[in-house]
Amino acid sequence: MSWDVLIWYAAAAAVCWIAGAALAFRSRKVWPAVTLSLCGSAVFMTFIAGLWVALERPPMRTMGETRLWYSFFLSLAGVAVYARWRYRWILSFSTMMSVVFICINIFKPEIHNKSLMPALQSVWFVPHVIVYMFAYALMGAVALFAVYLWLRSSRREPSDEEMGLCDNLVRIGWAFLSLGMAMGALWAKEAWGDYWTWDPKETWAAATWLGYLLYLHLRAQRRDDYHWAFALILFSFLMLQMCWYGINYLPSAQGASVHVY
Amino acid sequence: MTLQWGYKRAFLRCALLFLVGTTLQMTVGDIDNSFLRYPWGAILAVNYLYLLVVLHAQSDKWPILKRLRDRYACVSSLASMVVMTIVFGLTRQDPETGGIVGALGFSRMTSSWQFNLLLLYFTTTVGLTVIDDVMHIRRRRVAAVLSHVGVFALLATGIFGGADKERVSVTAPLDRSVNAGTHADGTGAELPFAVTLREFRMDEYPPKLYLLDTRTETSSHDFLSVETDGVEAEIDGWRIRAVRSVDMAGRMPDEDEYRPMNHVGAAPAVYVTAESIASGARHEGWVSCGSHIFEPSYLLLGDRYAVAMPRREAKRYLSRITVTDSEGRRENHDVEVNHPARVGSWRIYQVGYDTARGRWSAISVLECVRDPWYAIAQAALWLMLAAGAAMFVTAGGRRAAEGAPKKGKEVVR
Repeated sequence: MSWDVLIWYAAAAAVCWIAGAALAFRSRKVWPAVTLSLCGSAVFMTFIAGLWVALERPPMRTMGETRLWYSFFLSLAGVAVYARWRYRWILSFSTMMSVVFICINIFKPEIHNKSLMPALQSVWFVPHVIVYMFAYALMGAVALFAVYLWLRSSRREPSDEEMGLCDNLVRIGWAFLSLGMAMGALWAKEAWGDYWTWDPKETWAAATWLGYLLYLHLRAQRRDDYHWAFALILFSFLMLQMCWYGINYLPSAQGASVHVY
Repeated sequence: MTLQWGYKRAFLRCALLFLVGTTLQMTVGDIDNSFLRYPWGAILAVNYLYLLVVLHAQSDKWPILKRLRDRYACVSSLASMVVMTIVFGLTRQDPETGGIVGALGFSRMTSSWQFNLLLLYFTTTVGLTVIDDVMHIRRRRVAAVLSHVGVFALLATGIFGGADKERVSVTAPLDRSVNAGTHADGTGAELPFAVTLREFRMDEYPPKLYLLDTRTETSSHDFLSVETDGVEAEIDGWRIRAVRSVDMAGRMPDEDEYRPMNHVGAAPAVYVTAESIASGARHEGWVSCGSHIFEPSYLLLGDRYAVAMPRREAKRYLSRITVTDSEGRRENHDVEVNHPARVGSWRIYQVGYDTARGRWSAISVLECVRDPWYAIAQAALWLMLAAGAAMFVTAGGRRAAEGAPKKGKEVVR
């Protein structure tokens, strides 16, 4: 399996996801949309698993490889939210974002490179990247939801239930950010003897983690002030982008990060 | 949207701390945490914990103390840490930076007064919350309590234990004992044991062939990984084929051919054919990355392009060492990246090697690290993992019960 066949697997997955999203609006039952969407995720996971076998290493090293996981987990996050809270539009949003990230990979294909530097050969590598990508996907979903609630044409104030969904997604996403950060620290100690070195990636990971933590604490106290809540969700999501790939372009981080693979 | 007085007061407190920090930074300069070395870090940590307990106990009598752990303090200290961390991320960390950024200490953020004062305030708020959590423990708050305890333990360990960490870089030559190294600032350091490098081993990835543009001195994006003989690839209009590869090869000065050589300095060599897809022009010859003994070889494709092989990438490397303590006891260890050796309270890490010699390196660069607070930090991180897992398991339960649509009833949105 190589990047060359991504387009076929991605097309099959996208068809399933789009059909699932359409069924969410048309069918009164939940399971048809969930089943179709999960089929799409399974097809996409098949590609990731095939790439894993072909590369003889976890496909988690490069930006393009992390984008694969992001698309996969976004689709799963969409299904989970739809299955639990029955928001029909969430599947459309998660599908759209997954497809956007797949398109980036199709238009900017990567090289079939099996090399995995020794520092990445750790038991923490796979869980660290997977929990972070899952957290990023959840935060992506909640950022989209926040934009929708804040800017929707009806100008209706968000209901308690809608804000509750934001809170839950941020809470679960933050839990996964914490897991990723703790795993990263344990790994760093094994790799080079320090838990935390304030490397640019780590600094922005801390800023992101603190931003969402501030949201959780503010929401517990200022429940009616949703403008703050939405602004903070979007601001924290911007910091997340900085942590994920923004530091590659940030002048202050050039040549200062060991998180460059 | 108006801010309550409680928030204004709490944020003013943060601003005041920032101003005090800035004044101290401009007048006193960076914080030197060496005063926290054992035993003072531990003594101050115990007193700090005692102070937190006293503050908490007295906070019911003194409202001003309660303001250190109320919701306003919590939000304001968190928000100030967000701001400081963003400034941290946007500022290049370089002790040599001058100007206003350097004067304010932002380019040495971990040593700056502003950052450390606000961090201490944040830690104090979390610490007081932990005491409150423990005194009023509730089952449904278990994830939050675990998070608070884990974060507090990590922050307190970082603040009071940071100065106790010792890192000694050691360059170990083959078959010679060394019991000294250097700290990061270049000062010498003696170790309580001696390290002897018995063997340095390196596994490498297969050689890769790139197309080199000799005018722009750039290499192609695509490459051919020579995993077996006969593999080929199209790179920038050339069909490159690896006819035969030799893992360890050498070429005498008067010879054209590479031949297998089991000797120090042997380098990989590949016999390559290259055919232009457009013109059909064909070239063939040996390509090698060379070593500290042999010169690299390129296959020239006309006057502009060449097939080149960069040095092979390291797959794994390890040092087989013998550690001898002051009483003459000897222990053998294999030290590898991600697999440090433990020697008493020290851990020995594989850091590097002589990159010019690669797999033939006659030295190994090791780092010996002593961290007396290791156990507390490890426990705190595992607590964070437990907190994350607990938060994931419990998230949504309360809210879902309050807000989820009733079973069997479709809700249209």
